[in-house]
Amino acid sequence: MLSLEEVEVAIQGAKILRGVTLRVPEGGRIGLVGRNGAGKTTTFRAIMGLLPLERGGILFDGASLARWPAHRRVALGIGYAPEDRRLFPNLTVEENLRLPAEALGLAPAERQRRLERVWDLLPELRELRDRRAGALSGGQGKIAALGRALVTGTRLLLLDEPFQGLAPALARRYGEILARLVARERGLALLVSESNPELVAPFVDAVVTIERGEIAAVTRKPGL
Amino acid sequence: MELLLLLALLDGLAYAAQLFMVAVGLTLVFGVLKILNVAHGSLFAIGAYSASTLAALAGTPWLSLLALALAALAVGAIAGPSIERGLLARIYDKEQVLQLLLTFALFMILEDVQKLVWGVQPVFEDAPVRALGPVVVGGIVYTAYQLILLPGLAVVCLLFLVWFLRRTVTGRMILAVAHDREAAEAIGIDSRRIYLLAFTIGAGLAALGGALAAPTTSLVPGVGVQTIVLSFAVVATAGLGQIEGAAATALLVGLGRSFAVYFAPELEVVVPYLLMVIVLVLRPSGLFGGRELRRI
Repeated sequence: MLSLEEVEVAIQGAKILRGVTLRVPEGGRIGLVGRNGAGKTTTFRAIMGLLPLERGGILFDGASLARWPAHRRVALGIGYAPEDRRLFPNLTVEENLRLPAEALGLAPAERQRRLERVWDLLPELRELRDRRAGALSGGQGKIAALGRALVTGTRLLLLDEPFQGLAPALARRYGEILARLVARERGLALLVSESNPELVAPFVDAVVTIERGEIAAVTRKPGL
Repeated sequence: MELLLLLALLDGLAYAAQLFMVAVGLTLVFGVLKILNVAHGSLFAIGAYSASTLAALAGTPWLSLLALALAALAVGAIAGPSIERGLLARIYDKEQVLQLLLTFALFMILEDVQKLVWGVQPVFEDAPVRALGPVVVGGIVYTAYQLILLPGLAVVCLLFLVWFLRRTVTGRMILAVAHDREAAEAIGIDSRRIYLLAFTIGAGLAALGGALAAPTTSLVPGVGVQTIVLSFAVVATAGLGQIEGAAATALLVGLGRSFAVYFAPELEVVVPYLLMVIVLVLRPSGLFGGRELRRI
């Protein structure tokens, strides 16, 4: 479904990604593991079209995304939860969740269906629906960001360091949510980054290790 | 003494209303595009000149009121998209100093355009003021246009903007882009379209401010300069990007200037800037700045 082919990205002249090749098949669950500064976030931003490629290409269902501006990529069924949440603090949780569906111009019934999917998976968000996102705690914000990504992420979910900064109890809760998600939605592909491979191991079929902007290793789970 | 106080209050309200119309457009554009548009004053001036021309052609005082709105709408609808698409869209990723220089160059060009089209002689058309006639408040005869229409429209404009930004999908998209353009793009919002919309609304508000000011003053070359400088003072005092803050600060500056005119005329010019300096020394982000939750 998603392929990165020899992707090179530079930020302010410094090369961050150096020929990254990565594949996420339909329903595949891939962990992107690497230390801080290895290029995980840059990979996600490149996939979302938020950074221009110097070389290489990104394909979705075999078609190049080169001419797809960032705002149109979510229409492909991609949901992105950035590392630092990036919620809109002056909007409520529900407004944050509704906004992607509204921006996509989905019919009201479809918007409601997607919202119900989020409430169902993340019941704690329903309790917080009227709270301003700026008033959420860090952990609540992470879950709200996951919920927002789920609104557009019907085929592929990109989660950038979802466990970072979470207290142990919240990290456990986040892990439970992910486990439930992958068990319930078999067709949903997942690309999740982490610096600690043990945190993503329960949810992924393969771990791709990135070091200094290059893919250093690919480890598949036994039997896959 | 009481009469002077009342006069200062009425003058201040009318002036604050005019100031708010221009300042709110400026702060909206800055809040969303992060560009301080120096040419905003030129849009005010072109709105004012166009409104005077149309009002003079309108034939009747009541039609001349409608002409003010039409002129503002036309200037906003033509100049807004032309400037945003033709110039600003090319420099969003460039350094701020270049953005400032570009809008300054545009301001210089538009100043000459005004002289070419309307000449250098004063232009004055007060038919819209005559349409509404006078009102008497506490024994003072005042124009209904300045006492009722201008403050009324300023309040409607403020309430509409707050409602539009908070209660409509497009408004929430504007808020999202203003807060974090990249995050907004990543959830499917076309930030280029939002920039175009916000700039066009801002240009329309500048033109509306000019159109509404036109019947109360003689239009001469440079009329936009004083307004834009005062608007900058209002916007900076409130905190860049603050809409409700701009309303409160326009009131403060309008009343401050007006009271100075009656009670300390030698301070008239300096009062708005003195307020700005005091506020910025005490609160560098402005009276309402630094509160991310309230930003546009």
